[in-house]
Order: sequence, then C-alpha cells, then structure tokens
Amino acid sequence: MTGVIVTTINLTAIYALVALGISLTWAGLGFLNMSAGVMYAGAAYGAWLVSTEISTNVVVVLLGGILTGIVFGALVCLTVFLPLDGKPNWEIRTITATLALSFVGVNIYQWKFGPQFKQFEPLFSWLPQFRLGDALVKSTVTGTVIATAVVVTIVLIYIGSSRIGLGVRALTQSAEGAALVGINRRTAAFAILGVSGAFVGLAAVLLGQTFFVEPNSGYVPLIKGLIVALLGGLGSLRGAVIAAFMVALCEALTLQYFGGAWVLITLFLLISIVLIIRPRGVAGVLETTRA
Amino acid sequence: MTPVLEIKGLEAGYGPLRVLHGIDLTVAEGERVGILGLNGHGKTTMLRAIVDLVDWRQGEILYDGESIMKAPTFALARRGVVLMPQGDALFPGLSVKDNLDSGAYPGGSWRKRKERRDYVCEIFPRLSERLNQVVGTLSGGERRMCSIGRGLMSEARLYLVDEPSLGLGPGIAKGICDTLMTLDLQGGALLIAEQNRPLIDGKIDRAFRMHGGELTPDTGEDGGH
Repeated sequence: MTGVIVTTINLTAIYALVALGISLTWAGLGFLNMSAGVMYAGAAYGAWLVSTEISTNVVVVLLGGILTGIVFGALVCLTVFLPLDGKPNWEIRTITATLALSFVGVNIYQWKFGPQFKQFEPLFSWLPQFRLGDALVKSTVTGTVIATAVVVTIVLIYIGSSRIGLGVRALTQSAEGAALVGINRRTAAFAILGVSGAFVGLAAVLLGQTFFVEPNSGYVPLIKGLIVALLGGLGSLRGAVIAAFMVALCEALTLQYFGGAWVLITLFLLISIVLIIRPRGVAGVLETTRA
Repeated sequence: MTPVLEIKGLEAGYGPLRVLHGIDLTVAEGERVGILGLNGHGKTTMLRAIVDLVDWRQGEILYDGESIMKAPTFALARRGVVLMPQGDALFPGLSVKDNLDSGAYPGGSWRKRKERRDYVCEIFPRLSERLNQVVGTLSGGERRMCSIGRGLMSEARLYLVDEPSLGLGPGIAKGICDTLMTLDLQGGALLIAEQNRPLIDGKIDRAFRMHGGELTPDTGEDGGH
C-alpha cells in the first residue's frame, strides 16, 4: 500500500504542475492552451541543452527548463493571445491557433533535434533513497516532490502577495472588474502565460527523469493536464491540485491491483463519474455571490 | 477653467441598438451632477460609454480637455476615471482586503494602499470587520460598500457612480448615498445615476433627466420617484 502512496504523490506533483498551467490560463485569459504539450517538449529540450552544454547542476537544469517554459509562454502570448484577443469567435480561434502552434512546434523539433530520444543525466542521484514501509522511495521521487513543492510555493506566494499577482487573481474572477481597476489584460497575459510556462517547464524536467525526450513527448502530458484541469474544474487552481491527486491515486491503485492495461479504463470511469455528479468538476468556479 | 468631463453629441449602444441619442454634458471641477430617470432609459449606458464598456459609441468625450474616445477602460482607470458600476463587478472569490487593494492597482496608488484602506474602513466601518472574508459571502449592502470602497482606493479625479441604492433596503441605501454625497472630491468631480430622487435631492449641484436615451436638464417635476 505504501507503494501506491509513493506513486500517487509523485504523479500528483507532475500532473498538478501541467494542470495548474492550463487552468490558470483558462481562468485568467479564457482560452484553452492546446500548445501546452509543445511548451512541455520545448522546455524539456531547453533543459536538456542546458544539461549537455552548460552544467548538470540540478538547480541550473531546473532553471533551464523553467526559463525555457517561460519563454514559450511569452511566445504563445505574442503569437496567439495578443493577435486574437477581443476578436470574434475567440474561444474556437485560440484553440485552433494553439493546436496549429503544436504541430509547427513538433515539426521544428523534428527538424532541429531529429526523432532520436534524448535522455537527461539523473538530477537527484545525490539524494538518498529510503524505504517507506514496503516501498522503496527513489531519489527521483524525493527530488520531484521537493522541487514541485518549492516552485509551487514560491509562485503561489508571489501571486498571493504581489501587485501583479493580485492583477492575475482579479482577472481570473472578472475581466470587467479588472479593467475597471486599471488592470491591463494584455500585460497580465504575459504574467499568466509565463507562470503557466514555468509550471510546464518544471514538469518537463521532472518527468524527463523517467521518460525520454522526443518531439512528441508533450502530447501525453498535455492530455493528462487537460484531463486533470477539466476534472478539477477549469479555472480552479485548488481543483487542479485535488484532481491531480485523484487521477494519480486512480492510476496508482489500478497499476497495483489490475495492471497497466486498465489505467485508461479506470481513469475514464473516474472522469465520467465525477463529471456526472459535478459537471463543473471537483471545484469548478461558480462565480456565486450570496443572494 | 477646463471641465473635468465634457461630452458632446454622444451616441452609443449595443449591436444594432442605439441607446443614447446625442448626449451633451459638462461636469466642472468640484461638481456633483445627478442623472435621474427610470430604469431602461440609458443612465447606465451613458456611464459605461464614458469608460468604453459599450459595443460602440460616437461623438466626443473629453476628460480634462483631452479626448478619451480611443482610451481603453483600464487606461482610463489609471488616469483617474473610476466607475462604481451597477452589479458591483467585484471579485467574488477574493477577500474584501484584496478587492479593496485592487482599487489601488494603478501605479502610484499601490504604495499608499494601506492608508487608503484605512480611509475606506473609516468611511465604512463594517468593512474593517470583514477584511478577510470572501466577498461572495457578503450581504448586498456590504458588497455595495466594498464596490464603492474599491473605487475610493485610488486617487480618482472623476467618480462615476451607477445606481448606488439599487437592490438595497432604504436605510442602507440612504447611508451609502449620504456617504457619497459628502465625499471630499479634492478638486475632482462626481457623476451619479440614480432613480430614487429623494436620496440625492438637495445634495447635488445640478441634475439632469435621462429619458429615452436623451438628456435634458431636470425640472424637478418627475423622472424620479
């Protein structure tokens, strides 16, 4: 059973990162970023380049992934958000544009890096492995959980206490109210997509410890991130974390008791049940006020 | 002296609907001007047109002598035009403190947000007891106080107040209107839309009547209650 707990915590950290990025973008800017996968792969390549060309120091590589993610977030802002903001059929056009960006990105990666798998040097091998009950907690898991906790805490404190952070939080609640107090949605978009990119970038480096990096490696994290964000209730950051835990627990339990072949089936059942009971997701943002 | 607000031949509406028909209005420094009229005649549209929250608008709006026809809503807020809207447009998931602080978002005000918040809490003591409460759980009157308080957090020059009494009990509505009418405008101006005439009668410098999207000087005969 402790094995299930360890796997759940590890997966929760990764899924929550990608889903937080997707959910924050939806809440703050009202668009579903289908290019999160290509941002993920780009950040993974960025961190891989840093680790092969500059340094294998854990902080440097993590920062490499996070900064590449931020740059990709800014690129999405420049190429999709700014040109389409306020245009008719904005929701559909942003989905189409971010999907297009995905295809372009994957082809650029193919051209630049080729289809070969890239592998990171283990970043957390200096951390000790230890036993928790009958489960062995590998150093990668410990590193993943610590890195996620540190980065998410820093970002949440920044969003919770700074002027820009208040602007982002206000935008997630009411676009009109935000404009009325002087918040420029277009400037805040850089902050939102930057934070989103930072989360996705960190997830890319952490998952890169287990999986190879290749041009299409962003698709699975994108789909998992979308599932978690929808399950949590698009727009709810708290919901994204809760849903990440639910999906991770579901996957860990299925792996333990039924085997890997059943993972998608149990996940699909979980999503169906939750969305039937709560169509807005676990903590879907119902912008309610007292009557 | 340059008026704070000058509107010339303003027409505005939503989609194919023309709501305002050739509005002319001037508001000078230190003035409190009331717009009276029944619901659905264009009071709200006029205030929203000033801050570019309508689908379209034509004519001319000058703020401190400069045209603001091309300025987006957020830029006007930064220049000191504050709309306290009908329906409040607060951030329901954020605390009262965060909602108030958001009013100080424009650059220079942010550093003074604590003293501005104290000032607002002095005006609305109820808010000081609720600072950490989420706004979505406040009562209607408290939300209105928070919305007006948010508007007072920046150093605004032009206050646009839309139906502050709407949906409130008579006691709370009177208290909120009295507060607004005794605000120290510090050289700025206040334009208030209200259908409940007795709440602002005698407390404003001039009144106009909005009827069918046209603005005429108020004669005190009807147009309100």
